[in-house]
Amino acid sequence: MNLAFYPGCSLEGLANDYERSITAVFDKLDVKLVEIDDWTCCGATAAHSLSETMAVLLPAKNLAAAEKMGLDIVSPCANCFNRLTYSRKMILKNIYDVPWKVTGKTKVYDMTRFLAQPDMIDQIKQKVLMPLEGLHLVSYYGCQMVRPPKITGFTDYENPQTLDKIAVALGAISLDWSYKATCCGASIGIGRRDIQFNLSTRLIKKAHQAGAEAIIVSCPLCQSNLDMVQNEKGMPKIPVFYFTEMMRLAFEGEKCSIQNFRMHLTDPGRLLRKKGLVK
Amino acid sequence: MKPAIEKTDLDVPNQLSGPRRIIGDRGDHFLRKVEGETGANISACYQCERCTNACPVSAYMDVNPHQVIRYVQLGWREELLRTTTIWVCLSCEMCTTYCPNDVDVAKTINHMRNMAFRSTVAPAEKILAVFHETFVNELQRFGRVNEFWLMGSLNRHPDVLKEKIKTGALKEELVLGFEMFRKGKLKLLPHRCNEMKKIREICRK
Repeated sequence: MNLAFYPGCSLEGLANDYERSITAVFDKLDVKLVEIDDWTCCGATAAHSLSETMAVLLPAKNLAAAEKMGLDIVSPCANCFNRLTYSRKMILKNIYDVPWKVTGKTKVYDMTRFLAQPDMIDQIKQKVLMPLEGLHLVSYYGCQMVRPPKITGFTDYENPQTLDKIAVALGAISLDWSYKATCCGASIGIGRRDIQFNLSTRLIKKAHQAGAEAIIVSCPLCQSNLDMVQNEKGMPKIPVFYFTEMMRLAFEGEKCSIQNFRMHLTDPGRLLRKKGLVK
Repeated sequence: MKPAIEKTDLDVPNQLSGPRRIIGDRGDHFLRKVEGETGANISACYQCERCTNACPVSAYMDVNPHQVIRYVQLGWREELLRTTTIWVCLSCEMCTTYCPNDVDVAKTINHMRNMAFRSTVAPAEKILAVFHETFVNELQRFGRVNEFWLMGSLNRHPDVLKEKIKTGALKEELVLGFEMFRKGKLKLLPHRCNEMKKIREICRK
């Protein structure tokens, strides 16, 4: 099975470890990711802040490229997924003059949702070499992946389950908490550090209260926000992993070195060694 | 005239005590215009404040989300464009998701932001406004956005630089930036896409 892969800008820089873990994970699965040729930025929040038209037309280029390849798109970044889906819905309405040839028939998958399909979960279970036993995780989805439900198609937007299903398939213990889809502050930290600090600290504290040893996320911006805020004094130290990093750890077992986690600002080494997951 | 955007506990009596504002045809016209452009059924709002209660940042706003809808119904365009609300909004879509009447609140606030960019009203949150513009400028330059170049261009903007030096945020940012570089989180050389001409055309729309 082939899928068109749309990495998004963050995966080139800020979340380079995410991309590397995705490549490693999909090497083991029966799914081949083909990167979209010459993909461009989806525009993120800035494009729709400036102009709605721009926000529809920018992702259209990637939709057109995927259509040319004849493949469905899978996107690891929550915001890219949201923007691509939104653009596709708008193109289907046929009110915009798109400079590329695009009909909007390509499906856009969120990576967690693609991997949480029953047959993919079975495949993941088969590939697990070293189950992550005894690791208490909370999954954090963020906003853009689940909301608005009319665009993203998540029916369980109050209590999404995709990441939890994957965590359980890997053998970890997935805990329930109430802040799965509460906003982390996104890019507001650039102008208003106080707001972003308040929102992110609350998430870390609540995860700590829920008894989590680590948080798994699927959004590059959520990861960096939750990771950076732990630099402040008096914060509980909870490593924030991309879910694919956890998958890679479970798939590769002993072979997965601690070097794969070197890009984290909150050092996950202590936790992983304590659990006997890395040497 | 006392500006209507001042935060008060009891909005109704205070506004009544101020000079009376005539709505006339203006309110209706503005409402129809915004409804037509966004497709959000703003007239359906019955002020239940569900959006404001769901909003994670309503405490930092001078005009709450449900009031934004009211302002649109009244046609108070300038007052809306002057608020911090339209810049603080995170587009997390909590308001839209939970609205019982299916009013697209987030889209309405976003539309106000679009209007603010095209108006002469000075934005209440300067850095955030400049950030959005810089982001799109970077996009026009390379087709993809590189975090290192984005922050570089943002900090070179005179207003932002002045503000950041004043608050001491610049120093913190440099320390954090160096830490990120050490961890390999920054890509120094940007990638340039092929179809830049079409992308630039789109960005002008």
